[in-house]
Amino acid sequence: MSDSGIYLDYAATTPVDPRVVETMLACMGEAGNFANPSALHAAGRASARVVEHAAGELARLINCDPRRLVWTSGATESNNLAIQGVLRAREHRGRHLITMPTEHKAVTDVAKALGREGWRVTWLEPEPGGLLPIERLDAAIDDDSQLVSIMFANNETGVVQDIAAIGRLCRERGVPFHVDAAQALGKIAIDVAALDVDLLSMTAHKIYGPQGIGALYVARCDDLSLEPLLFGGAQQGRLRPGTLPVHLIAGFGRAAAIAGGSLLDDYTHLWELRDRLWRGIESVPGVVRNGEADASYPGILNVSAGGLDGESLLLALEPLHVSTGSACNSQSGEPSAVLRSMGRSDELAESAIRFSFGRPTSKRDVDAAIESYRDAVTRLRGLLPEAA
Amino acid sequence: MSDDPYGGMVRTLFTALDHAAACPGEPSGAASVYCEGQGVSLRLNAVVADGILETLSFRARGCPHVLAACEWLCRRLEGRPVAALGDVRPADIMQTLSVPVAKTGRILVLEDAVRLLAQRIAGPAAT
Repeated sequence: MSDSGIYLDYAATTPVDPRVVETMLACMGEAGNFANPSALHAAGRASARVVEHAAGELARLINCDPRRLVWTSGATESNNLAIQGVLRAREHRGRHLITMPTEHKAVTDVAKALGREGWRVTWLEPEPGGLLPIERLDAAIDDDSQLVSIMFANNETGVVQDIAAIGRLCRERGVPFHVDAAQALGKIAIDVAALDVDLLSMTAHKIYGPQGIGALYVARCDDLSLEPLLFGGAQQGRLRPGTLPVHLIAGFGRAAAIAGGSLLDDYTHLWELRDRLWRGIESVPGVVRNGEADASYPGILNVSAGGLDGESLLLALEPLHVSTGSACNSQSGEPSAVLRSMGRSDELAESAIRFSFGRPTSKRDVDAAIESYRDAVTRLRGLLPEAA
Repeated sequence: MSDDPYGGMVRTLFTALDHAAACPGEPSGAASVYCEGQGVSLRLNAVVADGILETLSFRARGCPHVLAACEWLCRRLEGRPVAALGDVRPADIMQTLSVPVAKTGRILVLEDAVRLLAQRIAGPAAT
């Protein structure tokens, strides 16, 4: 960290693991595997082997054939490619997309854009805890439906959907199923085959890999094809052209391998931290937890302090580095759409703070966060005016 | 150009909201007003003696710019004649504290409160 703050915003991004840096550096510079992996010469073939190795590491993490991975610039591009790619390829069959308002903007904004183009979009409202009632999805699927897009773990609340049940239903009803796994990859065990997932969006920078690299898993299925979003070369079967960034891909692969090896330890560590934080602040008057506690990824704790302004709370919490809701949405100043669609009032949504933890987070960090949050809430509550 | 959404002045005022206090009661010459809107709610209190704003205080819910603006106004107006309330201009507050244009509405709520306070002091509640 470049300042003395306590970083509790790992859901936004993570620092690159030194082992990943080492792997990436080996691909850079004159002596590294810097060559274009599409080139036919020996240096190019060496780079292609690096890419192939990384694909194998990532594929192991989600139990898929490495040839089913498409490299992208991150989860946002993966989501765009999955949703637009599938829908445009299946336009002749129907024009109906099913998703949820609690999805990341990389999904909801795509859905809204398609809606403006005339696609029918069904927004499935969650229960107050954030979970999707499966019967709502069952009722929404019709003969026109061409894709269901539901995220694995929510980026604001950590709520984990029942992906297996959703996948099973989609398979039974014959509708492709896309999952945004940006927050779940490397943190929750994912087996795309067992979960009946057809498309899975991933990114490296949430698992101590570099920013700027992601991937999309596309199941091998005669019935599933995608239209590309970009044109300009024959790379990746023309589905996503452009020179492959070998150092980023190598870093992603290494990060995936490390995550796979420490999945259980990481999960336990995060569980202890989240539990410690919640136990430390749950007694603060007016503080409520957002998201189904029994169905949440432990790396995230989202809490609201009714009546307080989230921006002031954020400033009062410095030097903690936390977010009001999603970091990707923090510039808008709008209360979280995720929390509002879960039935939270504007007042609660406006005061939401997302704490997210990572491998480097210590119990001491959490204890500092507890003290800071308690002090900040007490201080700002003391400023509130009595109504007229 | 700084990437900090708050200037140094806002940060300084935010950490020392010395005038954030309850209304000092209803002594002779005290006035209190409540305004809300734009996600802001605030109460301004004044104790007036011999036409002078002897004590000003506030309670508020709002973003850091609003809280800092309340503190800045109290510091600036305390000890000045009541007529100084009429000189408060939102543009001055926004320029001094580098308030983003998107937050203009919030500063206007503060201006409304100042105007109301001036009216209240001029009315029968104040002596």
